[in-house]
Amino acid sequence: MDRKGALSRQQARQSRLVAALAGIWLLLILLLGGWWATIVIRQATRVAQLSIAIGGSEAQALQELQETQRMLFWESSTFLLLLLTLSAALFWFYWRDMRRARGTQAFFAALTHELRTPLTSVRLQTEAIAEGEPSPELVERLLADTHRLESQIDKTLELARLEGGGSLAEQAIRLDPWLPRVLGTIVGTEGDDARLEATVEPDLPPIAGDTAAVQMILRNLVENSVRHGDVAHVAIEVQARRDGDGVEVRYADNGRGFDGEHERLGRLFERGDQSRGTGMGLYLVRVLMDRMGGRVSFGKAQGGGFEARLSFKASA
Amino acid sequence: MSTLPVPLLVVEDDPNVASTLSERLRGSGFTVTHAPNVAAATAAIEGGHFQLALLDVGLPDGSGFDVARTLQHRSPGTAIVFLTAYGTPDDRIQGLELGADDYVTKPFVFRELLLRIHNALRRAHELQQPSAATQGAVRIGRATVDFARFTATVDGVAHPLTHKESAVLRLLAERPGVAITRDEILDRAWSADEFPTQRTVDNFIVRLRRLVEQDPAHPRTIRSIRGVGYLFEAS
Repeated sequence: MDRKGALSRQQARQSRLVAALAGIWLLLILLLGGWWATIVIRQATRVAQLSIAIGGSEAQALQELQETQRMLFWESSTFLLLLLTLSAALFWFYWRDMRRARGTQAFFAALTHELRTPLTSVRLQTEAIAEGEPSPELVERLLADTHRLESQIDKTLELARLEGGGSLAEQAIRLDPWLPRVLGTIVGTEGDDARLEATVEPDLPPIAGDTAAVQMILRNLVENSVRHGDVAHVAIEVQARRDGDGVEVRYADNGRGFDGEHERLGRLFERGDQSRGTGMGLYLVRVLMDRMGGRVSFGKAQGGGFEARLSFKASA
Repeated sequence: MSTLPVPLLVVEDDPNVASTLSERLRGSGFTVTHAPNVAAATAAIEGGHFQLALLDVGLPDGSGFDVARTLQHRSPGTAIVFLTAYGTPDDRIQGLELGADDYVTKPFVFRELLLRIHNALRRAHELQQPSAATQGAVRIGRATVDFARFTATVDGVAHPLTHKESAVLRLLAERPGVAITRDEILDRAWSADEFPTQRTVDNFIVRLRRLVEQDPAHPRTIRSIRGVGYLFEAS
């Protein structure tokens, strides 16, 4: 999507203005500090001169002057440093909030796009059917679009539930034969002609997790492969094996992968694709894994596709 | 207008929307070429001629605005209708300033889209029909304008004009020496449901002055009439 429109230009102008104001503010603090130190040192010198003029000891006056100067130097330096640190912290908080606000704005724009696009398709197909043009293809597309809408709404609700502190129902899950069966159902629903190869190492300990959460993780990964893989025939390979005391599930597809920084994937408001998706799917994968005491890392598969490594705790 | 099927370019990345929309447009008598991204749209524009382009704003490798810019350079006569799921005021303003003939927010009713396509085609057709004042090469300031080809030639270099730029310039050229109000320019060049503002007109005049004036800072060909609008001073 082109978000470099009038809005981005306005944001860039705003950022430049804030940077200019920050520069002026810092310059003003330094000038004021310098001015204040000069005046006070000048006053102290004058007091020392007056002390000599009224018959005081010159050596004692000079010593007191040096002590005053030292004290003023440290006082003013500390004060200026505190002021500068406070200013820098204020600007940093402002910058962080602006960045978050822009991320939120982009997220809701993407969410709107993700809901309106299947809705457009549903409306076009329903109108065609209402006008007497029903065909198996139209009905198939209609079903696919309603499924997309359902999936998007499910993810949004789950995100709201988790962000609101919603809990998971943890239990022991034996991956053989649960994992291949669940994956088979998900792949069958998400992509008709997607090929799945799922293997589970024998004698794996059961993992500690919430079955609904693990299903949502797998569904989001499969949906990611089908929607963003950009290949005619999606092939998914999943392997579950022992990893130290826990279990690692390695998920890989044959898609185009992600060329950017993989560490950024799975953070809310970060997307692998500039036009499609909200980034919510992989964010939920990361949050759900964290909540189950596991971890996830994203990377490039051997064939260049997308890879996710899910590390689960073994059930006690 | 010609009774031959009207060639349309549909640039839409969502396969379901693209398929159903293309089928319905074909059923309504149009010849449809579909492009799922900017690269495919650019190749289609280079290889064919389209009377109208339906452009989705969000595309995987860029945006519909990029395709609109390519169309302006390669095929300035093509009418442009943006289809978008965003529909924010900023997007709409950017689309209108790029010379789009219309801006439709998803989801839309197909009959309404058809109506808007026909309106955009009719306006594009009217723009290409010369009046007595706009027939052939018309001298406007330092530019020689060919309204049928949507080009303004300045110092031997041809600059493409968008439909809106051409409409505004044509309105001024048809009535030299007469002050034309901003409201009249809005009424004649934009459709009622596009929600442009008088500021949009001023932005178009600024761009046209860069083309036709010797010194755009001191315009002598398109003069501002304070509180009214603009006046074309024929040289």
